Parts: sequence; structure tokens; C-alpha cells
Amino acid sequence: MGKPVDTPLIVLLIDSKPERARIVEAGLKGAAVVKPASALHGVDLLSVVEQLQPDAIIIDCDSPDRDTIENLQLVARKNPKPIVMFVENGDGALAKEAVRAGVSAYIVDGLSEKRVLPVLEIAIERFKMFDALWRDLEQSKRDLEARKVIEKAKGVLMHKRQLSENEAYAAMRSMAMKQGKTIKEVADNILSVASLFEG
Amino acid sequence: MSIHEIIVGYVPLTDAAPLIVAKEKGIFKKYGLAVELSRENSWSQIRDKLAVGAIDAAHLLAPMTPSSWLPGAYSNERFVTALAFNLNGNAITVSERLYQEMVDADPDAMFERPTSARALRKVIAKRLVDGRETLAVGAVFPFSSHNYVLRYWLGAEGLNPDRDVRMVVAPPPLMVDQLERGMIDVFCVGEPWNTVAEYRGSGRAIIRSADVWRHMPEKVLGVRESWAASNNERHLALVTAVLEALCWLDDRANRDEAAFLLAQENYLNIPATLLRPALTGKGALSNRCSIVETDDFLIFHHYAANFPWRSHALWFLTQMARWGQIEDTVNLYDIAHSCYQPEIYRKAAAALGIAAPLIDEKPEGTSDRAWLLSEATAPVVMPPSAFIDGGIFTPETSHAYIEQFMRHNIRVDLSMLFAGD
Repeated sequence: MGKPVDTPLIVLLIDSKPERARIVEAGLKGAAVVKPASALHGVDLLSVVEQLQPDAIIIDCDSPDRDTIENLQLVARKNPKPIVMFVENGDGALAKEAVRAGVSAYIVDGLSEKRVLPVLEIAIERFKMFDALWRDLEQSKRDLEARKVIEKAKGVLMHKRQLSENEAYAAMRSMAMKQGKTIKEVADNILSVASLFEG
Repeated sequence: MSIHEIIVGYVPLTDAAPLIVAKEKGIFKKYGLAVELSRENSWSQIRDKLAVGAIDAAHLLAPMTPSSWLPGAYSNERFVTALAFNLNGNAITVSERLYQEMVDADPDAMFERPTSARALRKVIAKRLVDGRETLAVGAVFPFSSHNYVLRYWLGAEGLNPDRDVRMVVAPPPLMVDQLERGMIDVFCVGEPWNTVAEYRGSGRAIIRSADVWRHMPEKVLGVRESWAASNNERHLALVTAVLEALCWLDDRANRDEAAFLLAQENYLNIPATLLRPALTGKGALSNRCSIVETDDFLIFHHYAANFPWRSHALWFLTQMARWGQIEDTVNLYDIAHSCYQPEIYRKAAAALGIAAPLIDEKPEGTSDRAWLLSEATAPVVMPPSAFIDGGIFTPETSHAYIEQFMRHNIRVDLSMLFAGD
């Protein structure tokens, strides 16, 4: 399933403890590329996730960036990734709670190198299952919403630029191609501009 | 009296003050409680720790209490509160660069008080027309008064926060840094972070959350519903102790000492000079006055600030529905009723000889001056409650209230949320 075996996984590591980073790197040697991001926070982290497109994110449960990552994952649902969380030894209950909150798996402190890869693989599988379910559910909602937005934007163009319905749609499509955006994004933009100038 | 061990979590912010004061001034001890304070780095961590019982009580963003009752809430545990910490305390800050852009776009709008998002709207429109990226707007947590205040403020000027700007979440201590590097253009946070941005000259606090909705609720003392049910006495003692600390904090003569207590390394670990403007109303800036430096920037007790108004919980729920955070059928009146426990507050207030409201709900936005609440154990002076757009919220008409917003992202059939309508 998923990626061909010869492509290494890319893992983003958000943790300030170097000894744990060493365990993760050793445990994933040959199977994954680990990108440490201990010096990056907040919105910087979001752009790294965007650029790097990691296959999984490993984060310390005590990290101040948890709210940012959780919002990205669960609320904005922009590019959701499997999350693996470090928890202190003996905090099993906390780890379970984090799993309920959308974390795919957890690593308890003091884990041996050998267990890192299996945990990561389980996290990715779990995430895929959950994400597929979620996507099915969301897709129909989004399609419907996109259609509404595109219709509205088309109306705006027809009215503002005196275009026919076909011309308006063609104009949006060519804007989308030029800007490398979806028609829905172009439609959003048209509506934003229209509403910001009205009144 | 036997000693009860309780662990209380907090996020290092100025409004964690009542917990730190109750600990440092021996108030917890006075009520037979041995409290350990646990500093946490994120609201997600506070929520998870509270849910699993790693902490017994927590400094919570008020909306996190009702949000824990929503279907599909992350946790299986539901949170309740019998005590609010404070009214007000946040502000919206823009980067110095954006501030100049806003002044250029609409100087009149920038001199109006309270400052609307009108100039911001012009800046954003220009950016979109020029084909540039829109602005990034930072809040501290999806279920936070900060998020709803930002959205209310933007929505009041016809901006759609889910479409016209990029909403992001970042931890308060990092906001200023991100503002300085242009990663975020606007943020809404609690103190001291607005003051820090102004002190460093990188941002301008342009409107207080209290000007978007006057005297809006901010943090609460949250506990698990199950813990409250099986620890009646302990919960009451905890509420009473923190309420006493809040009364102490309400006396402005004590605020310098509070700033000193909070500044310590094991608590906020931030210089007291940066904590004082919001606490004492005294300046951090040499060249001008900050909007943070007012007498009512943070209200810790008077105006019935600590009473858990069920209508406050309900207002937060209306905003969750408005912005698409509620997608399933659930009765909002039931949640507001269950998650706020005014009866326990009344007991604590009685023990301290403090007047307590006898009603559980009140309308908001109906009064632009202070008024007297007579439905109370003794008359209580109540604050003005105006919204920036002149809106009025009455709990009984919550359904119509959500429907009248021009800007929204409603994702549920509203009639299903108010079965008792």
C-alpha cells in the first residue's frame, strides 16, 4: 500500500530533546529521512509542512506548537498528516487521550530504536484509514459548496463585466489556468474582491 | 481539616494570576487544599491532561468548556466550570508595517475609537486585486475568545475570515516573533504579548477585545464533570479559594505585587515591567500611551466577573455554530446549562460574603453603561456590554441571533440546535 518500498519516508521531527532525536534517526535509518524542526515554530512550521510534505510528523506532547499542528490537522484540515507523539514514560492515559484528539500513534520515552519504524508504519496506516473515511464524508459537502461558490462568482462576472454565462465560466477557467489555482479558488477570490468593494 | 492534594494546570499568561496568587499568598492552604500548579505549553496539552486526570483542574479558555460537550469533541470527558477568572484582557495587534498600510488606506478609520476593520478591509482588497497573498491572522486556539473576537471584528466589516484572510493558530509567546518576521500580520492574544509587541516597536495594539464586545468573559476554572460530581467539597473549596484570590487581585493596590509574583521564573518568567501595563494601567512605552493601559483592561472580580453566566457559554456556542465548528445535531441550550454551574459559585460567594446574581442568564449588547442587577443576594453593579456592531444577544432568541449574521460559515441546520425554541 502507499508508497513504493524504495522511496524513503519523510518524517518531520518537532522535539527539543536531542537524545530522542538520535533514537528516532537511528531507528529509521535507511527507511526514512528525518528532518528535525526543533528551531522552527508556529507559522514557520506550517510552511515547512507545506514545502516538505512529510509522510508523518513526530511531535513532543509538551511542545508549544501542539495547538498549531492540531489546528492544521483537525480544524483547517489542510494537508493532514499522520502524527506520532512523544509522551513521558508512565503517561499512558495521556497518550490515549492524544490519540482520541487525532494523534495517530505515540512513542513512550525510552523506546528502543527497533520499535520506532513499526510505530511509524502503524501510525501511517491508521491515519490512511481514518483519512479515507473522512475524505469520503467531506467530498460531497465540498463539491456542493464549490458548485454554489462558482455559480455565485459566475453571476458576479456576468453582472460586472456584461458577460454571457459561458463567457464568464471561460474567463474563470482561464484565470485558474494562468494562476495555477482551482476554479473554486478563483471563484472565492472573485467573491472576496466583489464583497470587499461593495458598500 | 484534612489536606487534599490537587494539581491545577495553567498556561503562562497574565490571567493565570488568580491561581498563582492563591498559591503564593497561602489562600489554597487556608481552605485545606495542597495545590500543585503545573505550567503547560499548549491548550491541547491542558485539555488532554485534564481529560485523563493528569491534572484535576485547569486555567481554561472559556469556550473550551462548552466545546468539550459537542458531538465529536476530541475528548470523551466533559468539562464544567463554576468560576470565571476575568472579563477582558486581550487585544488585537497588527504589525507596524500593516499599521502604516492601514493608515494610508483609510486614515479616518484608524482614528476612530473603537477602531474597526474598515482600513484592514481596504488593505486586503488591494492585495487581492494586485494578485498578492492575503493577510495571515493569528489566534491562539480554535475554541478561544480570541478566535471569536477576531472573527466578529472582521465579520462586522463584511470580511469573511474563512475566505478573505488566512487564519492560523500559534502559541502566544511566539506570536510577536512571527509578527516581526512577517509570518503573521494580525494577531489577537492576551497579555503580556500585545505589550511586548509595542515595547519592541514591532506591532501596534489597535483594539481591545473589550471594544469588540465590552466586558466579554475570558478564562474559567475548568474541571471534569465527573470529578466535580464526586468531589463536591473539594471543588467548592477550590472555587472559594480562587474566588478569594480574585477579590485580592481586584484591588488595584495589590497589582504591583501580583506582577512581581507572576514574573518569577517558575511562573511566567517574564520581566514584571512587561506585566504591569495590563495589571496596573501604568505605561511600558515612553513615547505614547498603549490601549492596554486602562483601568479596566483586566477585570478580576467586580461587575460579577467571576459568575459563570450560562448565557456566556451560549454566546460562545452561537459563534461555534456561526463559524462551522458545529456540524452535528446537538441542543445548545442543554450544553450551556450543563457546562456552567452557577449554584456552586453561589455557595462559594456566600461563604465569602460576596453578593451573587440569582439569575443564570443575561442579555448582551443591551447596555452601553453600567447598570444595577437587583436579582442578586445584594444589588450588583453590572458592566456595559455593547458589541462593536451594535448587535444584541438575548439567550431566548439564539437561533435568530445566529441567522442574522451577514458573514458566517454555518455547516448545520440551525433549527436542530435549538430544540426548545
